[in-house]
Amino acid sequence: MSEPPARTVVDALEPWPDTVTWRPLSSRLIAVHLIGVATWTVVLLGGLLAGRIIGGQTAWLWGMAAVVVLGLWRAGVAVRAVRAWGYAERDNDLLVRHGLVVRHLSIVPYARMQYVDVTAGPLERAFGLATVQLHTAAAASDARVPGLPPDEAARLRDRLTALGEDRAEGL
Amino acid sequence: MSDTGPPAPSGPAPEIEPRRRLHPLSPLLKGAKSIVVIVAALSWQTLGQIGPTDFALIVLALAVGVVIFSAVGWWNTGYHVVARELRITEGLVWRRNRAIPLDRLQAVELRRPLLAQLSGLAELRLEVVGGNKAEAPLAYLTVRDAATLRERLLALSGRAAPVDTAGPDQPAGAAPLYRVRNHDLLISQLLTPQAIFLPFGVAWVAAQFLLEGSWTFIGIASTVTAMAGVLLQPIRRVLRDWDFQLAREGGERLVLHYGLTETRSQVVPPRRVQAVRVTWPFLWRAKGWMRLRMDIAGLSGPDPGDDKSSDRLMPVGDLPTARALVAAALPGVDLATLATSPPPPRARLLHPFGLRFLGAGLAADVFVSRSGRVTRETTLIPYARMQSVRVVQGPVQRRLGLATVYADTAGGHAGAAHDRPLAEAYAIADQLALRARRARATPVGAGGGGASPVADGSAAPVAETFWQPPGRP
Repeated sequence: MSEPPARTVVDALEPWPDTVTWRPLSSRLIAVHLIGVATWTVVLLGGLLAGRIIGGQTAWLWGMAAVVVLGLWRAGVAVRAVRAWGYAERDNDLLVRHGLVVRHLSIVPYARMQYVDVTAGPLERAFGLATVQLHTAAAASDARVPGLPPDEAARLRDRLTALGEDRAEGL
Repeated sequence: MSDTGPPAPSGPAPEIEPRRRLHPLSPLLKGAKSIVVIVAALSWQTLGQIGPTDFALIVLALAVGVVIFSAVGWWNTGYHVVARELRITEGLVWRRNRAIPLDRLQAVELRRPLLAQLSGLAELRLEVVGGNKAEAPLAYLTVRDAATLRERLLALSGRAAPVDTAGPDQPAGAAPLYRVRNHDLLISQLLTPQAIFLPFGVAWVAAQFLLEGSWTFIGIASTVTAMAGVLLQPIRRVLRDWDFQLAREGGERLVLHYGLTETRSQVVPPRRVQAVRVTWPFLWRAKGWMRLRMDIAGLSGPDPGDDKSSDRLMPVGDLPTARALVAAALPGVDLATLATSPPPPRARLLHPFGLRFLGAGLAADVFVSRSGRVTRETTLIPYARMQSVRVVQGPVQRRLGLATVYADTAGGHAGAAHDRPLAEAYAIADQLALRARRARATPVGAGGGGASPVADGSAAPVAETFWQPPGRP
């Protein structure tokens, strides 16, 4: 209900900056993403190196250079993507924003929640992170918050379920 | 009685009723259905190779096998109502027990395919949230059993008192709202691209044959098959929507009845309509006709194959009828007063042709979005049924300072305000979230839906029908 500010200050990543306090993701998620990127880069480099040793053409070296450049670019994107991700808990709904190229902002009311998922992959677990995802009856709604410390994830999950029960109506 | 969570077989003893079986004829009916499939699978080529006697024997053997298989399945299938759940047990090797909580019931449909009509049986389908298809088809029951069971399930599914006693002026009788004229239905299906272009297709193929002078059997047969395939959709629609009737029963619930070869009779309890879509096909414009569809959670998935799903609210009709039906499905909404505003002119880059026909608006009770130049479509999403709101901005939109707002529903079709200026998009999203909250807060305690238009009107923040852009001076 806030008066929308003038167009010049509106940023796709910061809607309603006055009324909503956005919380960032853990910066350890950057490390998780970087490790993922590095793994792929190393695997591809290994393959290309094997090709170079067996085949011996110079093209393999160009390929390796391209893979390194691509890996660096993806690392930069990963860092910025994690920084672009944010969530905010308002009184009645959860806000999640993410995306660099295509920017998304989801507003999911707690009352519409069907269930909450908390997942953690092996790499995420090693860094002490977890992902919380809120599901509604609509398949299209995406409210996924990755890279939360376990206690924060548990707190968010408990708060979401508690609020969902309070305001339960489902459909 | 209200405790449905733990099974506790000894506790709620008076509620447990014996498990009942489906009608003994159902394996035969299911078998008869599969004979068609078997014949189609064996194909005419096989018939030519092995001769008619052997062919008949093979079909007979397979049919007997299918019937025995179905009979075993029938013997092991049972259903009963426990407290506020319908429990269905099925399967011999892989047993499956499912409990369907009845307060999650979205719609109940009674289907009678041709064979079932001949034998006086019916299939009862329950729609619950979360399933792409009907979760519990009970095939087959006698019509009386099915109708009684349906009434019982619907009475159990009501959140408040049973519907029959809640209706103030119409105690039990149904108030008819709409009945399609079969004449109009036929004409409307002739006014589809398939039917319009068919004569040209036939003429072209005939010209080909005449020019080449080769009247082979294969050629003619394949032409006929192709024509039938093209006409299949209009014909199916005519058969399915034949004699479409809509009535309001008791307080608010909608009762639909339609179909020629397969009759369907559907009951939608109040406040289960997730969205209403209005479509104006290009060829119907001269007649001023339109089509209404409603989304019900669990019934209409996002798959475009809409011939199987029963989501019709009005197969064909004019604007006054459509207004009445929209008001029946979404109380307090008047189709004729829903104004929308188009995106700003700089969105022309993204929509070179249809920009004028895009639009979105916040009405008192529904979110309205329009799209489509040739086939115009309007989606109405009641604020109270909205699941979540999304604002999405692609790279080109970012250059232009635009964003798209989506209102997600459980029915699978999202309403979208395409390419609004960014500040307006956030304002719309904010309004949607706010109005959804208010709309949800109001009608829950209202019991019957009769008073809801008044209640909603007074509770809605601003009764603006036209969306004012927020950048006003």
